[in-house]
Amino acid sequence: MPIPLLLPSPQSRDRRRALAGLVSLAVACTARAQSAFDLTQLMRLLAQVKSGTATFTETRNVAMLDKPLESSGRLSFEAPDTFVRETLKPRAERIAIAGNSITLSQGTRSRSMSLDAAPEAAILVDAIRGVLSGNREAIEKKFVTSVAGSADRWTLEMLPRDARLREKLVSVRVSGKQASVLEVAVAMADGDRSLMRIEPQTAVTDPAAGAPK
Amino acid sequence: MNAAASPPRRFDPRRIALACWLVLVVITATIAVRTRYVADLSAFLPSTPTAEQAVLLDQLRSGVAARLVLIGIEGGTEEERADTSIALAGALRKSGAFDAVHNGDNAGFEETARFLFEHRYLLSPAVDAQRFTAEGLRDGILDTTSLLGTPAGALVKPVLLRDPTGETLRMAEGMLPAQSPRSDGRVWISRTQPRAVMIATTHADGSDIDAQERALQLIHERFAPSAARGLELKVSGAGTFAVSSRAQIKTEVERLAIAGGVAIVGLLLVAFGGSLRTLLLGLLPVASGVLAGIAAVSLAFGNVHGITLGFGTTLIGEAVDYAIYYLIQARAAPGLAASTGARQWIAGNWPTVRLGLLTSVCGFAALLFSGFPGLAQLGLFSVAGLAGAAFTTRYVMTALSPDGAPGSALRSRLGKGVGAATALVQRLRWPLAALTIAAVVAVAWLPSPWRGTLSSLSPVGAAQLALDSELRGDVGATDPGMLVAVAGRDEASVLAAAEAAGSKLDVLVASGAVGSYASPARMLPSPALQLARRSVLPEAQVLRTRLAEATADGPLPASRLDAFVADVQAARSQPLVTRAALAGTPLNAALDALLVPGSGEHPWRALLTLAAGAKPLDVAALRAAVADVPGAQVVDISGELASIYGRYLHEAIFQALFGALAVCALLVLHLRSAARFWRVVMPVAASVVIVIAALSLAGVALGILHLVGLLLTVAIGSNYALFFDQLRTQADAHVGDAAYTVDNDTLASLALANLTAVISFCLLALSSIPALFSIGEVVAPGIALCLVLSAAFIPTRKT
Repeated sequence: MPIPLLLPSPQSRDRRRALAGLVSLAVACTARAQSAFDLTQLMRLLAQVKSGTATFTETRNVAMLDKPLESSGRLSFEAPDTFVRETLKPRAERIAIAGNSITLSQGTRSRSMSLDAAPEAAILVDAIRGVLSGNREAIEKKFVTSVAGSADRWTLEMLPRDARLREKLVSVRVSGKQASVLEVAVAMADGDRSLMRIEPQTAVTDPAAGAPK
Repeated sequence: MNAAASPPRRFDPRRIALACWLVLVVITATIAVRTRYVADLSAFLPSTPTAEQAVLLDQLRSGVAARLVLIGIEGGTEEERADTSIALAGALRKSGAFDAVHNGDNAGFEETARFLFEHRYLLSPAVDAQRFTAEGLRDGILDTTSLLGTPAGALVKPVLLRDPTGETLRMAEGMLPAQSPRSDGRVWISRTQPRAVMIATTHADGSDIDAQERALQLIHERFAPSAARGLELKVSGAGTFAVSSRAQIKTEVERLAIAGGVAIVGLLLVAFGGSLRTLLLGLLPVASGVLAGIAAVSLAFGNVHGITLGFGTTLIGEAVDYAIYYLIQARAAPGLAASTGARQWIAGNWPTVRLGLLTSVCGFAALLFSGFPGLAQLGLFSVAGLAGAAFTTRYVMTALSPDGAPGSALRSRLGKGVGAATALVQRLRWPLAALTIAAVVAVAWLPSPWRGTLSSLSPVGAAQLALDSELRGDVGATDPGMLVAVAGRDEASVLAAAEAAGSKLDVLVASGAVGSYASPARMLPSPALQLARRSVLPEAQVLRTRLAEATADGPLPASRLDAFVADVQAARSQPLVTRAALAGTPLNAALDALLVPGSGEHPWRALLTLAAGAKPLDVAALRAAVADVPGAQVVDISGELASIYGRYLHEAIFQALFGALAVCALLVLHLRSAARFWRVVMPVAASVVIVIAALSLAGVALGILHLVGLLLTVAIGSNYALFFDQLRTQADAHVGDAAYTVDNDTLASLALANLTAVISFCLLALSSIPALFSIGEVVAPGIALCLVLSAAFIPTRKT
């Protein structure tokens, strides 16, 4: 906002100093307005995406192994709770999550389980699904969250609230741009880490879905 | 005895009769005291099963389903419930009364896991020739390492270097149930209620109710400290039902016997003017009948079931009828010497009583041929009891009280009252006939009321059933509705057959027709398969070469897999796993549930329990799939139970009709007159139809026990019709100008006898045991109607 220069003219140095102070004040105000990007706004953005597909590459660093494990494949998501990860390299396998059940398929073998029977797996699924569907209550219930960045480049860090689960899973950090999730980094308690980079392919959005209720 | 009568003879037949009777009483009393009384419901399971039913009955009696105890812990906080669950599970495991206790806490499974791990190359389904080629090794290692870095990795990591191809995982896949209960991180909890759940399998058989009771007692004792802190224990399962229904049957029988006894004694006192002597006399046939019944059943079956005793309390009401007939009808006619009443009764009324006894015996005898041991006991008890009571009346009461009951004050009033009522009822003849026709129409027009099921025989209450299904849902222990049973001569062949059936089922699982199945061959592969697996394990050098190739640019270097190579070498000469080897491990219980060893002429049986997937199971498709596995049967448990019941209902209908026909034949033989036969049969048939119509209209689902009740109505009700027929015959035969007066005493005795019988069956109808109240609710109104309709339709007065 231009500052009307309706000031009397004292010495020019004082005027410059005053001008600089006012300008920096203005910049600071604007900056604070921009960094008020918080969980609510982020979830609103993400909730607009009803379904989508993407490709991913994942790198896992496991202490026991010499080299990092690389894998790649496809992801698909459909609100509110269906999520499919299809690994194509190095071995074909598929993990499909719908509601409370998780189905793992490898080749011709497939096995279904209830998620709530395996809380350690469920927590990770909750994190990812919660983020993808923009479900703020679900995430806040299970995780301590902190959001950094702006709408154009945000990072959401989630730490499990449950002490017992924290002994297995330390944190899940998701970053993205606007309504697209671009990176998921998982840190396990035994030192293993995994980093998944995601390239969105298609997305079906519903702007009204993100509106506050 | 009267001095004016003939001088006493040494071999007075009456004295001989009394002596014989006393001896018999002593013998039967001894047998009754030493007899074994049982109260389990297996007496109502059929006794001549087909092969499929043999498997089913095996399962029901002593299979795992019969030994499961479902436990729920409520109250307190989530932490407290989890702590209690862990403590209780530990206590139960240590107690030795339970084969397996599962509560979601993996504390008890180290031993099992270790056993499986040590034998993984014999037990894992993934071990085949392909597995140990370089390709196979690479794929296996990739599959296993792909789990690292995820929550599942925690399971794989500890054993990765010794089991890089993930045999442990493959074994676990096959053995984990498809439906797991929800976990709170420590123990199983309910998905719907704030409740911790667990499941325990008793060591004792399901049919050993005493042991089941002790096991339940143990659970409550071990829970007591937690109960003191405000937590609540809920227990359910087949053993619980058996124990509580046994307790229920016991209390019911006691209650019925006391109530029945009090009612009858009260009635006799009132009817005979408070005379204790008459009362005691009247109870003699009753006591003799009960003793005879118990002794006969005990000798024939080796035990007496509680329900038989409960039903036998009706014998009190029927047996006392004979006493009543005698006591009232055997009075000295005016003008004749004293002590001639008995002789007169024997000549005049005993034939009718005897015919009545024979018809009753015919009716009950039809039950003797029933396929249910419980019903056969009821039949024998009643036949022996009624015969004992009748003959006691004929030989003992005539000797002890030759003039019947003294005094006639109340009797004459009762007689007059009944006479007046009879006249009234006869005026209602046409309305009652119309009622009968309406009943026939109703029965013909309404849909068949014969909808009873086997579960209607169970006395378990609705609240208990609801708790049971809740706990089952929580734990995922739904009853196996269907299973595939295979048979074999010995352990090896039955396991091979199970594997053959399993491979057919795998096809169905892949296509989604079946959700999943459990097979003993997963825990214990057949020796042939184990040998095959052992033979594909390569020797050390070959394995190292292939490993080097497989791990060439993989994440896991071959140099770290020395332990794996050593383990494979050890496995090459490992002894095969047998059922005996598993006997000491916790896997034994799980295996025993599915593998039933044979003995003598019984083959070994393996059971593959099936769980439905998205679609319900299709029996025909299953049968087609396992058709070419020799000795395989598909047993549809609930379907089998329904068809068993249906078959027995059909058989029972035939037996009942046969019994009714026998009664009719008997009547024809004795009455020798179509008119008289019709007169006797008509009221009885009419009351049967009216009872069926009334129950159908009330929406009651009729079953085998109602059929038994109808048979009894015919057997007992025909007695009243016979007496009215006798009166009519006497009236017809009366010659002379004086009008024939109805014998009010006979009417009074009929009314009183009917009242005692109706009272005892009404008491049954009030019982909470389905077996008893089904019979009571049919017989009580049935015999009352028989009396009324006999009075109405058999005219005793010439108009």
